[in-house]
Amino acid sequence: MKLFAKYNRFNILASIIIFLLGCFAFFFVMHKVLVQQLDRSLTVEQIEVEQYVKEHNNLPEVVNTTDQQVHFTETTTIFPKREITSTQAWDEPDQDYDEIRVLNFGLRASNRYYKVSISKSQKETEELFKAILPIAVGMIALTLLAGFFINRFFLKRIWKPFYNTIEQMDSFHLHAQHFPRLRKTGINEFDAMNNHLNDMVSRVKQEYQSLKEFTGNAAHEMQTPLSIVLNQTELLMQDEAILKSHHAEIATIEEAAQRLSHLNSSLLLLTKIENQLFIMNEQVEWDILIKKRVKELQELITSQGLSVSTKIAPVVNISHRHLADILLGNLLNNAIRYNYNGGAIAIRLNDKYLMIANTSPLPMLDKGKIFTRFYRHPETKTEGSGLGLSIVQQICDVAGYQFVYTYNQNMHSFSIHFSNKEL
Amino acid sequence: MIIEDEPALNKSIVEYLSDRQFLCESVTNYADALEKIEDHRYDCIVLDLMLPDGDGLKLLEIIKADRKTEGIIIISARNELDDRIQGIELGADDYLTKPFHLPELSVRISAIIRRNNLQGNNLLNFEEIQINIPAQSVLINNNMLAITRKEYDLLVYFIINKNRVLSKNAIAEHLWGDDMDMVDNHDFIYTHVKNLRKKLLQAGAQDYIQSIYGIGYKFSVI
Repeated sequence: MKLFAKYNRFNILASIIIFLLGCFAFFFVMHKVLVQQLDRSLTVEQIEVEQYVKEHNNLPEVVNTTDQQVHFTETTTIFPKREITSTQAWDEPDQDYDEIRVLNFGLRASNRYYKVSISKSQKETEELFKAILPIAVGMIALTLLAGFFINRFFLKRIWKPFYNTIEQMDSFHLHAQHFPRLRKTGINEFDAMNNHLNDMVSRVKQEYQSLKEFTGNAAHEMQTPLSIVLNQTELLMQDEAILKSHHAEIATIEEAAQRLSHLNSSLLLLTKIENQLFIMNEQVEWDILIKKRVKELQELITSQGLSVSTKIAPVVNISHRHLADILLGNLLNNAIRYNYNGGAIAIRLNDKYLMIANTSPLPMLDKGKIFTRFYRHPETKTEGSGLGLSIVQQICDVAGYQFVYTYNQNMHSFSIHFSNKEL
Repeated sequence: MIIEDEPALNKSIVEYLSDRQFLCESVTNYADALEKIEDHRYDCIVLDLMLPDGDGLKLLEIIKADRKTEGIIIISARNELDDRIQGIELGADDYLTKPFHLPELSVRISAIIRRNNLQGNNLLNFEEIQINIPAQSVLINNNMLAITRKEYDLLVYFIINKNRVLSKNAIAEHLWGDDMDMVDNHDFIYTHVKNLRKKLLQAGAQDYIQSIYGIGYKFSVI
């Protein structure tokens, strides 16, 4: 539910109640005022009657109208006290009961006692009530209508900065180099929110940056000690006595140092791609690169008895040659490495996509995991670094390509969709 | 001359190269390097870019400004393409990223010295084997040996690093570069070595290639 809808719900409910209460209060106050006025005119009437009696010692002649009627009733004793009451009386012309206000008081004229009843119609107050009701209903309706229009036109504008911010936050990616600062809106609350978000974004980016730098530096710093391990091992190898008794250990150390060094350079490469140190501004002839790579790997391909089917159209686009080469190398090497003897590799290239597919003893890979660093399928026998596909993914990210893995008919296929990068 | 600030690394380079009949001097900082460069002339300088008291690239500029004819190999922990390009632009002859194999460094130094050697000694000799580097041809007892590109590379590598135990990893990296990192199958080296040995033997050469405990190979007169 939208904040305003919720707010509006209470608001409307409250305004209806307030309007109804207001109407009732208004009605009662008006009623009272009118009754008082009526009572005053009744009193005036009484004074007139009393004056007449005083002057003439006789009852006055009365002309009764529908509005005002005066009745004299002879009593045995003096009518005890003056009273004003509201009561109902049959209204002949309207054929219904009308509220009337009756004033009774006692009078003595020509030695006789009378009870005088002056009554006035209260029709006006009823009419007042009838007039107020539609006004109240009309006002409630107007309020609702106004609320609706305010919501419709005004609120949308007022909340615009809020939705802008949300939209901007939605497009926030940690690895994106530039994230525009949220602008001032002129509304205190939104400005406060934007300021906090700006602070948060820059803090997060800073942390991420230092983390990235740490990875890069750590990998760098490892290069020299690694060189020492590798080179000293190579020196040890030259000592025949040592080699004779410890060749297995030396081989293990050398192997491990070698693997660590490759892992390290892969990590460094990843960090560099992530930091966007490669600028995509070179013309890359993918078909030529692929053919070159395949030729280089021909030896391996033949030794494993792999059959390669290629369908390569000339494709030139703007990318980074070195990265494109790494990307192809990783994909092709994977296609060979995770293949079985006598398997197949399919390479397709056109200006929409590049696809490299291979047969493999491995079942379908977990799509969610293959791009994760250091992920290797539990059944893999050959030792890869587990970084190959992460590097490919990272290159695609930077280049704006889409990297897709599919599996059908026993073929693992990795395709790269070039999008909006063609010449 | 070796300019490398890490003593252990410096020592192992000197040790390996000295055994290769290279006369090595070594320094571990910028100031010493500068002094040595001004006073002496070297065939080749192995230069680490990151020195504790100065930038290796600066040193490179100074060497080149002096119009010295030294060959220069940069060794650096940074595998930045830009560094590499800048180094080469400033006149370095080669660029090797740490960690590297010592035999690899040895081959690169030999290549540079050979290239800079104006006496034109472009021949590499080992017993009855003679390699003409510019022509990339191999003569055994003066008979031309038909040999593939990889086998040729392997033979040159062996001869330059003769009498040393060369690990399969080092050989693989020399022959295939970084790609071999993906292809951890040493059978190829075995195949190539086997083929090379067969060809050498058929051409009448002695068997110089020895397999060393499964670690690697050694090229030497038995």
